[in-house]
Amino acid sequence: MRLSDPGEARLRGYLFVLRQTLRSFLPKDTVQDAVREIESHLREAIANADGAPNEGVALERILAELGTPAQVARAYSLEMTLDEAAATAGLLSIARALLRLAFTTARGFLAFLGLFVGYASGVAFLAIAVLKPIFPANVGVIVVNGVVRSVGAQFPMPPGAEARGGYWVIPMGIALGLALLALTHRLALRFVEWWRRRARWRTDAAAARME
Amino acid sequence: MTTGTSELDRWREQIRRGGLELAILVALSGAPRYGLEVIRHLEDASDLVLLEGTVYPILARLTRDGLLKAEWNAEEASHPRKYYRLTDRGRRRLTDMTSEWREFARTIERLIAAAERGAS
Repeated sequence: MRLSDPGEARLRGYLFVLRQTLRSFLPKDTVQDAVREIESHLREAIANADGAPNEGVALERILAELGTPAQVARAYSLEMTLDEAAATAGLLSIARALLRLAFTTARGFLAFLGLFVGYASGVAFLAIAVLKPIFPANVGVIVVNGVVRSVGAQFPMPPGAEARGGYWVIPMGIALGLALLALTHRLALRFVEWWRRRARWRTDAAAARME
Repeated sequence: MTTGTSELDRWREQIRRGGLELAILVALSGAPRYGLEVIRHLEDASDLVLLEGTVYPILARLTRDGLLKAEWNAEEASHPRKYYRLTDRGRRRLTDMTSEWREFARTIERLIAAAERGAS
């Protein structure tokens, strides 16, 4: 079957949606290769089709057998993002994978939130350690009128408030910050690894659907 | 008590899922094949009907895992084709998976045969 102009436009539309969906989560080169392969599949299937009962129906059948752009993109992007995160264990790739999961399921969103709090708390403790020598009167155990309110930094200090605690805040902030960051990162990696196995299983399930 | 059709379908689906990677490796054990060729081969040689678009992410995964090697060929058709072939690692994995699969099937067969002998 040879495609007419409307048929060609429909094909290009499908590939455009697929490309845009994949681009949200995957590197440019990976997207280009994936879209090129899907286009090759479609052109091969179109060339082998007899065009019955007409071009429109035949083309839609071919596209339906392939799956919607969203189905194809979901299978590609989730697995690849998780594989990259698990392989590199880098902060950026893990953040990208967690963000991808946060948009996928409620469980992913909750995990993203929990891990974000873990990372943010680690960074906050390190910030306390950095700020203490610069603003010694604003960083430490914040006490207002004799009552302990928080541990951290306060700008500006409210009336009646003072920052207690000496420079021991610095090693404590560094130790707690690093420990929290390491623990959160370890948890994030375990979560990504667990989800990766789950994603692979799901892709296989989607591919081996029942007749 | 009878097993519902949907439960049986779910069970069949799980077997298919478990065997899908093996089926793809088997399909590529002879000559290199491109994606649509793999899909058609699996459909023709077995009753595996695949949602075609999700086979490509599996092929990409097996390539990332070092079990397959992919190469574009732009010369033999009017459009480029991406061919996959087994790597040495992929061939070793295929051998291991095949013997595991056969061993598992033999075990289940033995169980069924023993139960049938007991029943008769």
